Amino acid sequence: MDKADNVIRYTKVATVIFLVLVVVADVFGFSITNYITRVWADREDTFALITLSTVYYLGTVGAYVVLIAFYKLLNNMSKDIVFDKANTKLMKIIAIALALMGVDCMVGTIAWFGTIYVGIICFFMMLVLFCVRAVFEKAIEMKSELDLTI
Amino acid sequence: MIVINLDVMMAKRKMSSGELAQRIGITQANLSILKNQKAKAVRLETLDAICRNLECQPGDILEFREE
Repeated sequence: MDKADNVIRYTKVATVIFLVLVVVADVFGFSITNYITRVWADREDTFALITLSTVYYLGTVGAYVVLIAFYKLLNNMSKDIVFDKANTKLMKIIAIALALMGVDCMVGTIAWFGTIYVGIICFFMMLVLFCVRAVFEKAIEMKSELDLTI
Repeated sequence: MIVINLDVMMAKRKMSSGELAQRIGITQANLSILKNQKAKAVRLETLDAICRNLECQPGDILEFREE
């Protein structure tokens, strides 16, 4: 139990670090997209720059949603609220955000094909999360039946 | 549906909820779940304790009714 608490604590710290990294990525967003467009995508047109910038910023919005929801999920778990409807709702929010980020990355392939890899990872993570959510829902159902067995 | 007629039996035996809960070793909250038809399952040992303390048969407590 103590080990699980430590894992949750460290994951919360990691989530906060990732949030800070996303903020930094947002601050230097234009320089980063400019670099990606010119160097990685090897394109000089404004269309590619605007497309990649839009995809990039929409992606960071998704990352905020995912990280904040994940932090709330960890917070609930550290309070021993594990098999609860609130957690499955948060998982649904994360999965939908990941799906939208995946779609966002697929749109990004118009400007640079490399975004497809990030998109595929997003879709795969979404599937994993939906599976975990299904397991949680089953567990909640079983817990409710057990609680009502007198 | 299965209806739990615990109230009727308790009234016949003139036994309060608190007393029955204490005798069968469950909380009053759980006894209330049983009485209010909220329970999804009843353990045989709980039924055994109820029947022993109320001096009745399971059929006196459990009843099948068409919905």
